[in-house]
Amino acid sequence: MTLVAKESSPLERLKTILGEIADLRHAEAILDWDSRVSMPPAGAQARAEASATLTRLAHEQFVSDEVGELLDELSSVEEETGAALVRVTRREWERSRRVPTDLAGEMSHANGVAVAAWDEAKASSDFASFIPHLERQLELKHRYIECFPETETAYDVLLEDYEEGMTTDQVVDVFDRVKQELVPLIERHRERPVDDSVLRGPFPVGGQREAGRRVLQAFGYEDTTWRIDETPHPFASKPGVGDIRLTTHTNENDLSSLFSSMHEFGHGVYEFDIDNGFARTPLGRGTSSAIHESQSRTWENLVGRSPGFWRWFYPQLQTIFPEQLAGITEGSFVDAINAVRPGLIRGDADEVTYGLHIILRFELERELLAGTVAVRDLPEVWNTRMNEYLGVDVPDDARGVLQDMHWSVGLFGYFPTYQLGNVISVQIWERARAELGDLQDQFARGEFSSLREWLCEQIYRHGSTYPPRELLKRVTGSDLDPEPYLEYLRTKFA
Amino acid sequence: MKDRKLEQLRERLGEVDDLNKAVTLLFWDQRVMMPPGGSAGRADAIATVSRLAQERFVAAEIGRLLDELRGLEASSDYDSFEASLIRVTRRDYEKAVRVPAELVGEIQRASVLGLSAWGPAKAGSDFELLRPHLEENLELRHRYVQCFDPPDETYDVLLDDFEPNMKTAEVSEIFEELKQQLLPLVEEIGEAGEVEDSFLTGPFDPATQRELSLEVLRRFGYSEDEWRLHQTPHPFMSSPGVGDIRLTSNFKPADLHSLFETMHEFGHGVYEWGIDRSLARTPLGTGVSLGLHESQSRTWENLIGRSRSFWRFFYPRVQAAFPDQLGSVDEEAFYRAVNRVHPSPIRIDADEVTYNMHIIIRFELEQELIDGRLAVKDLPEAWNARMDEYLGVEVPDDARGVLQDMHWAAGGLGYFPTYSLGNVMSVQIWKRAKEDLGDIDERFERGEFGELRDWLREHLYRMGRKFTPQETIERVTGSRIDAKPYVHYLREKLAPQPA
Repeated sequence: MTLVAKESSPLERLKTILGEIADLRHAEAILDWDSRVSMPPAGAQARAEASATLTRLAHEQFVSDEVGELLDELSSVEEETGAALVRVTRREWERSRRVPTDLAGEMSHANGVAVAAWDEAKASSDFASFIPHLERQLELKHRYIECFPETETAYDVLLEDYEEGMTTDQVVDVFDRVKQELVPLIERHRERPVDDSVLRGPFPVGGQREAGRRVLQAFGYEDTTWRIDETPHPFASKPGVGDIRLTTHTNENDLSSLFSSMHEFGHGVYEFDIDNGFARTPLGRGTSSAIHESQSRTWENLVGRSPGFWRWFYPQLQTIFPEQLAGITEGSFVDAINAVRPGLIRGDADEVTYGLHIILRFELERELLAGTVAVRDLPEVWNTRMNEYLGVDVPDDARGVLQDMHWSVGLFGYFPTYQLGNVISVQIWERARAELGDLQDQFARGEFSSLREWLCEQIYRHGSTYPPRELLKRVTGSDLDPEPYLEYLRTKFA
Repeated sequence: MKDRKLEQLRERLGEVDDLNKAVTLLFWDQRVMMPPGGSAGRADAIATVSRLAQERFVAAEIGRLLDELRGLEASSDYDSFEASLIRVTRRDYEKAVRVPAELVGEIQRASVLGLSAWGPAKAGSDFELLRPHLEENLELRHRYVQCFDPPDETYDVLLDDFEPNMKTAEVSEIFEELKQQLLPLVEEIGEAGEVEDSFLTGPFDPATQRELSLEVLRRFGYSEDEWRLHQTPHPFMSSPGVGDIRLTSNFKPADLHSLFETMHEFGHGVYEWGIDRSLARTPLGTGVSLGLHESQSRTWENLIGRSRSFWRFFYPRVQAAFPDQLGSVDEEAFYRAVNRVHPSPIRIDADEVTYNMHIIIRFELEQELIDGRLAVKDLPEAWNARMDEYLGVEVPDDARGVLQDMHWAAGGLGYFPTYSLGNVMSVQIWKRAKEDLGDIDERFERGEFGELRDWLREHLYRMGRKFTPQETIERVTGSRIDAKPYVHYLREKLAPQPA
């Protein structure tokens, strides 16, 4: 039941209903953020119930016949924003209609319970305690997939949730090409490792927070609309307009918190800069996971690991950590943060090896779904493959198969978008450089606004107006293409 | 055997409770976490979720189930879960169906916006910034009152939301007694001369204060698994779900008030914590009234936290934490200082005696506002005049006057009197606990509070909302609400001793 006057236009009526659903999602986002940042652990059970109820209500309201009728009435809208709203809403409505409300509630409930179990399992490196939760998530995924018409591979259904218009085959093609280049490149670096011992710290947490704060403020973070907190697994969340929340993980033994802050800033600024006129509609969010990730990787890597950035920031970092960085030149510091070094943790991986962490997860997800790998055998397969691709030995499951939260909250089909984001980030970056000229000089002065404004104009402000592939074409003139990314890696890591 | 209809009712009530808990968290988040830029979006979200909760609660289906469950209610023991759930839900339902869901959403939206204006208004001592929100809230309260049959007094409707079944006339009678007994006491104490408390002005390191707060809380029963403590300008307690109790306190260098605020909020928290877990996700799973809630915050803040025996235990810790400020202050001097009776402008910093005058002023002004005898624009002047009349206090500015509390900004008219009702009931319950437990002071001196907590849980907390506030206080103490024990306690503790 919604409060819509019958005489208002169909578009207004649709927006009222969508606004109410956006409000429920806002509440869900806070419940989720809170469970990861503030909630005492004993609150998990009640929280799972509350989240499931909100999800179920949002789902019920959204899949109503009334929405379908309004969409039908609006099928001939020509004005661009209205047409985009109808297109995005219809696609989501048709997909959601296929999922029974009970299943949506069960999935949400399972996420709340499993993420808490994952947290404990990871803390004690106890994969066995996580097995039933992962099995439950897989079972729910199978039931979810069955709601959709048969596709080339079952995995296509999951991928489509995060990356509209992308198929498993396309991803396989891109990843094969990337793997073919990366494996020999990593091999060459293995033979000539860079000395990055300077990054071992210890770097006191307070200093890292200060460094992160200065960088984010130069990027455009403001206290009135943003906040940043600590969580074991960094993430970004936008519960509503004017409320952007980042988290980071600060560890004394390295400077990774700086890079994770810049990464989450990229997600945050995309959401922050979306046209406020799209608020409380499905247009008011980033258009796909890969486009989103292209922006987090832009700010983390293309900006945050660039020579210009460090020309500006290294002197400041040295004043924050005078003892640790005494006698370390800017050049050797930049070399160290760009060292290619196969490691255990995806979140800490360098730009080159990162891709293989993703390819591993992409393969395992498909094998789990196909049933060719059983959940109980997952750690063994994981460890074997880590050795094969990256030559590393996994010492325990906490630093192996339990390191990421994604599967605990049912995110299957999500990981590949990280690597697609890397690929897309460089496509967009090349276009930005062609239009804006040499950005490194600006970065060296601590100026990032012309890049941000260009990205806002080209990408951010549009929200979900354009589907990801169309947006990419509008911005870069081409479809998904791994070559600029590979060329960037070859040049930077020659 | 489980009754199918009852299960259906529980399912629906569980869903409503989930939505209400989401709203609770959204408010908590707004006050503790949200960047200010998020206010407008938050107002929309809270309005929608509150309205959906209201719509789902007043659904015809719940009315039908309540009718069909009359038989089960009649055949079940009055104290049973089943009879209590049906009885209390019916009372809530009959009240809620009178209020349009749209109005509930509007009230909540105005509350969020009022709250977000209150912060800057208080910070800049700028009443004009808040005035339109207060007028909006008052207007919404009038629309709310009109949803009900005309009461004896308009204020009865407001009061009933916070202290069910209590009438304005009863409160006036209790407050009249307090006024008559306490104003002379304040005077007597004033005449007996000033108590030295200059050593309480600090500076006291806020991080150390937080550590001390946590130390006390752990003694009281706080655990990391179920509780949280944050900092906000105005302390409060919130429980956004079972097993999830959140306190806030305000750690500032200028004084040690944070310790008392923490103990106060613990009292609210432990009440919610102690409710029988089987009542969760039903209308029974929360404290029965704000008066009884406040009786518990005041118990832990004052009856325990300002007692000699508590400070026998804890003063050495505080002294060791602040050797420069308190090194030469002995326990007796400290005890007297934290119990100093002295009229002052701020309610939450007030001593046990003058506190009630702060409440009586608010109670009177609220009635005048809702009856139209006082306009919002004239509120600061009326406030200042009344503070002078009752407490002889000159209000330096609106930040320390009419803007000091957030309640009116959030639309909470009718809330304040429950604070003094809580004071009154706290001593009634306390007396009863001491009869059962014997010399608990001796245990407090050793830092042991578990026995008292368990007694309160057993006799009060676990009941939740199964019974009315009046039934609850009678079950705990054997008598109705009565101001005499409280007045007696204050006089015995704080009246000047003849030389």
